[in-house]
Amino acid sequence: MRNTFRKIYLALILILLYAPIATLIVLSFNSSKTRSKWGGFTGKWYISLFQDTSIMNALYTTLIIAFVSALVATIIGTAASIGINTMQARSRTFFMTVTNIPMLNADIVTGISLMLLFIACRFTLGFSTILLAHITFNIPYVILSVMPKLKQTNKSTYEAALDLGASPVYAFMKVVFPDILPGVLSGFLLAFTMSLDDFIITHFTKGPGVDTLSTKIYSEVRKGIKPEMYALSTLLFVSVLLLMLLINMSPKDTKTAKHKVFNKAMIFGRVIPVSMILIIVSGGIFYHVESGQSGSEQVVVYNWGEYIDPDVIDIFEEETGIHVVYEEFETNEIMYPKIQSGAIAYDVVCPSDYMIQRMIENNLLAKIDFDNVPNIANIDPDYLEQSTSFDPTNEYSVPYCFGTVGILYNKTMVSDPVDSWDILWNEKYNDNILMQDSVRDAFAVALKRNGASLNSTDVSELQKAMNDLIKEKPLVQAYVIDQVRDKMIGNEAALGVIYSGEAIYTQQENPDLEYVIPKEGSNVWIDSWVIPKNAENKENAEAFINFLCRGDIALKNFEYITYSTPNKAARELIEDESIRNSSIAFPTAEDLKDCETYRFLGDDVDSYYNELWNKVKAS
Amino acid sequence: MLNTQNILIDFKNISKTYGNNLVLDELNLSIKENEFLTLLGPSGCGKTTTLRILGGFEKPDQGQVIFDGKDITSLPPNKRNLNTVFQKYALFTHMTIAENIAFGLKISGKSKTYIDDKIKYALKLVNLDGFEDRQADSLSGGQQQRIAIARAIVNEPKVLLLDEPLGALDLKLRQDMSYELIRLKNELGITFIYVTHDQEEALTMSDTIVVMNQGYIQQMGTPEDIYNEPQNAFVADFIGESNILPAIMIEDKLVEILGARFACVDIGFGKNKPVDVVIRPEDIDLVKPEEGTIQGRVTHLIFKGVHYEMEVMANGYEWLVHSTDMVEVGQEVGIHVDPYDIQIMNKPESEDEEAVGINE
Repeated sequence: MRNTFRKIYLALILILLYAPIATLIVLSFNSSKTRSKWGGFTGKWYISLFQDTSIMNALYTTLIIAFVSALVATIIGTAASIGINTMQARSRTFFMTVTNIPMLNADIVTGISLMLLFIACRFTLGFSTILLAHITFNIPYVILSVMPKLKQTNKSTYEAALDLGASPVYAFMKVVFPDILPGVLSGFLLAFTMSLDDFIITHFTKGPGVDTLSTKIYSEVRKGIKPEMYALSTLLFVSVLLLMLLINMSPKDTKTAKHKVFNKAMIFGRVIPVSMILIIVSGGIFYHVESGQSGSEQVVVYNWGEYIDPDVIDIFEEETGIHVVYEEFETNEIMYPKIQSGAIAYDVVCPSDYMIQRMIENNLLAKIDFDNVPNIANIDPDYLEQSTSFDPTNEYSVPYCFGTVGILYNKTMVSDPVDSWDILWNEKYNDNILMQDSVRDAFAVALKRNGASLNSTDVSELQKAMNDLIKEKPLVQAYVIDQVRDKMIGNEAALGVIYSGEAIYTQQENPDLEYVIPKEGSNVWIDSWVIPKNAENKENAEAFINFLCRGDIALKNFEYITYSTPNKAARELIEDESIRNSSIAFPTAEDLKDCETYRFLGDDVDSYYNELWNKVKAS
Repeated sequence: MLNTQNILIDFKNISKTYGNNLVLDELNLSIKENEFLTLLGPSGCGKTTTLRILGGFEKPDQGQVIFDGKDITSLPPNKRNLNTVFQKYALFTHMTIAENIAFGLKISGKSKTYIDDKIKYALKLVNLDGFEDRQADSLSGGQQQRIAIARAIVNEPKVLLLDEPLGALDLKLRQDMSYELIRLKNELGITFIYVTHDQEEALTMSDTIVVMNQGYIQQMGTPEDIYNEPQNAFVADFIGESNILPAIMIEDKLVEILGARFACVDIGFGKNKPVDVVIRPEDIDLVKPEEGTIQGRVTHLIFKGVHYEMEVMANGYEWLVHSTDMVEVGQEVGIHVDPYDIQIMNKPESEDEEAVGINE
């Protein structure tokens, strides 16, 4: 009875531990793209995974970093262990504690401190900094597994070898090293696994254009989960599992000293072939990555995720011979500190309006030489005019995409005319309203409704906006960001605050949907290309911007991103008349009359907005 | 006593400290060629350090080590023409027996056939023929020790250093191995320097024994000298069992022990001088009370196989007596000691010697 209970308990724990991974593995073999449906068994995700060059590159990088960092850490760590082992008991304890601390330290702290150190030392973040970081955090693991072996070895065997005429180096290699070899090997494997496994430290110490599997998975998943990622995660899990099995097996063998011959066979039979394979694989890989980064001319681009047609990059590289190192960010707030720190010399970045203002104010941007950007003539002067709100002289930025915030509504569910923000306060649509879950967007709605500026710093205006939002809250079905699109397409709500770029897409999916910029005005946002002051390839950056301003290229990007383009030439090339004349994609100057861009209001005002927003959320 | 012509190793004013701990204090020691010399003493006496300095594993703080006429004080261990047998065998566990024995020969670049012959010869010498392909840790302790010796002697060193080589073996094996070592020594005809804390081993095997304590040489001599004529209370106590008693040298050849006067053979200590006397338990004759120099009563009796061990309370001291004749507990006896069985020693003079202490 008691035994059965024990077994059930154990089974429960195992299920809890491994259910998530089991789910992942099952999904990686699901031929249907959606998570909720089983479409039959397939290996196609694995196949397409191995055909994706960017993922394979990340795999190569991961393996090289894991291999090289484990190797270097093993050499350094073994040498350190020998040194520590010869110390007196007291300093030995001290040094063991010191070397153990980095293992217990939070990864994020290690990652940030390494990043800060690299920046302080003027290292450019990239492949080499990831490698250095991995070596650093791997060393303690090597020491941890070599030390016990060293303690076990009979100190007099080393002396006996010297006594028999061996030089210290020969004695170490012939006598001490074979004794500690199992520890060194498991240290290597442990370091390899840790490196393979690491995300956080890599995330902070990596530079543009370099991705390990974990950072690659992270950036891919951010864009929406692809089944290939399940396959990749499964492979990563399986390889780590295999490595852990290998590590746990090797020290056990050596304890049963009586079966020494057997143990030797184990080392030569298993561990060494595995290492050999790793060496060969990594060797080939190294060549691959090296060749992948050939060419001295390059431009380092830092852009939003999914914010350029990949073909455009290929065409640019082909036409100009300039290699594009492409890096993505999720929010302006993540991008800003990276530029500010100067750790990575990005050549061209695509921030939003208010962030451009802040970067200009903080002297982070270089003036663009428009002699190198003749295609600026293709940009509609209306938008250059709009841009002056954040770049008053039009010297620092070139508009790339823009859009508005408006109301998306379902014609079959809303009978009243939709032309004002007031409709979001109409009790008829109780529980059918979707609001943006972001402080500025939410307040923009309330402020504009009252005829105030969405950059208002007037306390009474803000207080009133807050009270209005609290009043509206019972009617709101949900405060969301990306789901507005899906919910509206799925007829799950009648009204939603949405970005114009997404509105065009929703209309294609659900013709009942209509987009309106309310008559009180709204937010117009502009994302523009800028060149940071510390750019190393400014002329290439200007060539890149000029290229993006070309009509045909801007058109390709418009079709890919679906956000409005300020490029006149591109608009004229649009074949589909309904889109070319779409008032959503291309609002008239009249539509934008009362629209404003967000401005950076200063840290104090920012936190005041947040304070009010928290009150709304808490009410 | 020393034959200065054949001196192979000379320690000159060797001192060594570990931290605040003085391990060797101006040690001077000469070792003759083909000698079986034993460094004997309790743990911490400096005997192992002396050996390690000779082996090259420790550097003395001051002094010189002369080997075969050359100063080798700063020569590394691998450049010295001597080999060591370590306390815990120190075999290379990941190698076969043959590989272990061939280790030194390979380094010195000997030919394959020479090495093979040497391995055979050495294994035969230590009575382990046919063990070539065994793994080191599949052997018993005694076998491992013999391999360690074989591994050392194939290099034909002038001197073999042995650091408590029998310490880890059991009693029976220890005795067998001591005879083996004597045989080896005679067959090889080289100098053995042997470190032990076991006085029995030392007495059995050595040509010369050096008794050490607290970094000093207490006495150096043949086993017979050391046993029969200990020069101080430490040596007397450390070598065998003894009755060590405070006494007064009344005049030449007459000593007063516990109020009774005994005839002895020692002269030159002066008159009425306090001394220590050593009387071995087997040198005490129990006689009829009226025939003894002093009288007492038997308090303990233990049968030891070869002899009886008794304790006799006389004049306020429990005398340890070994005799083949048994005397019942409670019986009155007289104690008689022949004059040449009484060993007179000076009282310790320096503080260091005082610290030697009898209560080991």
